[in-house]
Amino acid sequence: MIDWSAFLLVTVASVTFATVIILSFATGVRLLTNAQNVTGKAKKGDQKAVIFEFWNRTGAYALFAVFGTAILYGIYLIVPAFHK
Amino acid sequence: MFNRNAIFFAARFDFHFSSFGKGPMDPLTIVVLVIALALFFDFTNGFHDTANAMATPIATGALKPRTAVIIAAVMNLVGAFLSTEVAKAISVSLINEDVQIVPEMVFAGLTGAILWNLTTWFLGLPSSSSHALFGGLVGAALVYAGVAGVNFPAILQKVVIPALMAPLLAGIVAFLATKIAYIVTARSQHARETTGIGTGRNSFKVGQIFSSSLLALSHGTNDAQKTMGVITLVLVAAGLQSSGDHVELWVVVAAALAIALGTYMGGWRIIRTMGAGLAEIKPAQGFAAEVAGGVTILASSNLGFALSTTQVASGAIIGSGMGRKGGAVRWNKAGQIVVGWLLTLPAAGLVGALSSLLVLFVPGGLIIDLIITLAVTVSIFQISRRNKIGAHNVVSEVEGASEVIQSARQIRIREARAAKVAKALAAAEKKAAKKAAAKKGKK
Repeated sequence: MIDWSAFLLVTVASVTFATVIILSFATGVRLLTNAQNVTGKAKKGDQKAVIFEFWNRTGAYALFAVFGTAILYGIYLIVPAFHK
Repeated sequence: MFNRNAIFFAARFDFHFSSFGKGPMDPLTIVVLVIALALFFDFTNGFHDTANAMATPIATGALKPRTAVIIAAVMNLVGAFLSTEVAKAISVSLINEDVQIVPEMVFAGLTGAILWNLTTWFLGLPSSSSHALFGGLVGAALVYAGVAGVNFPAILQKVVIPALMAPLLAGIVAFLATKIAYIVTARSQHARETTGIGTGRNSFKVGQIFSSSLLALSHGTNDAQKTMGVITLVLVAAGLQSSGDHVELWVVVAAALAIALGTYMGGWRIIRTMGAGLAEIKPAQGFAAEVAGGVTILASSNLGFALSTTQVASGAIIGSGMGRKGGAVRWNKAGQIVVGWLLTLPAAGLVGALSSLLVLFVPGGLIIDLIITLAVTVSIFQISRRNKIGAHNVVSEVEGASEVIQSARQIRIREARAAKVAKALAAAEKKAAKKAAAKKGKK
């Protein structure tokens, strides 16, 4: 009567998607904070800090883009016209 | 299609309205009343569920209360136009197919749904509007068609079991998401002291704006359709629409506007419960709860069974409350909410059944029922004004909640200190008395 396989599928899908989204956003937050922490040094011309700042900031934005993609995928799922 | 029908509809309405009050009520008048009641239910559905998407961003300060309800209202309005899939397959599957649905029955069911929605809103309890609607309709069907008219296995499968699963699943996902968010962004005491680096967890507020908007959009596509489905059901039952395989444009527009207006009203009492009553929510938790809620809702609705948005959102908030170290969940509040969920179906059903009895067996019962519903509605709104909660004080109430806890702790500390001082004083006094006694003895 109860479709346990559907329930299991929903559980696995929910945990997987939520983990991917939260991991990417939270890592993005961490990298962005890293970058912001050395912005002052980088502006003063510290070469090491400039490189560190660049890679952390780039990584953060790439991860925020993953979150953005997830939001777009959510909209895709919500609007039936897109997938039916 | 839309224009022709609307004119046809208006003409019949005018023609028949002159007979209002003479003898048994005209079928078309009843249809108009049912549609009005359905739109009012849609309106209550709107403000009842604003909290699902907007309680956490309001609580963490990611969005100002007014901005939050405006975004939610727009998302619900847009969402209502996106799809009519659910409306076509309206959940009358809970009522057996051979039961002939008459507008009066839907009328009685709607009164049950509306009154339960208003009661739970007044108490600040987030309960499923869909379950209230199902409950009201099932209660009415019990009176009209007896026990045989209701599909009890379907109620168990489509309402009761999902109601148990929704908060549990969303709670677990939100718990994990919160843990991950906190572990990933954690900074050691050493790092914070030596470099002055923060955790950056306030950045989650930006994510919250997107996740809450998505939740509101998803709500609009689902919930407005239930009203569209009910109106279409009545139009078909009254012979005004040939079949239920499509939804008239004016029905879509009316339902979309009603739910958006309701959402804009805010339902601040429920926002306060979900934003501050269940757990103290910080930005990382709010974001984790919304991601968990959104993912759970989208996964379930796309993979076979629909879960109640309200129950998912409440479960997610509890899960995120448990996920933060030192975060406390107010279990007595959570318990009250669960009791509200358990009561939703039977309570709305009881009112739906009583309304049906009134409509069926008392002459002029439908009008009496309408007057009672209006009177109760007006009195609930009047009583609620005594301790009004709105955009102006929902946030201070949210902050107030933590202040109360803080001051309680401070009071305990103060009391402990006072007791220590009193003890020391008493000891000193005793010593002094002893000394005095010894001096006296010497003399």
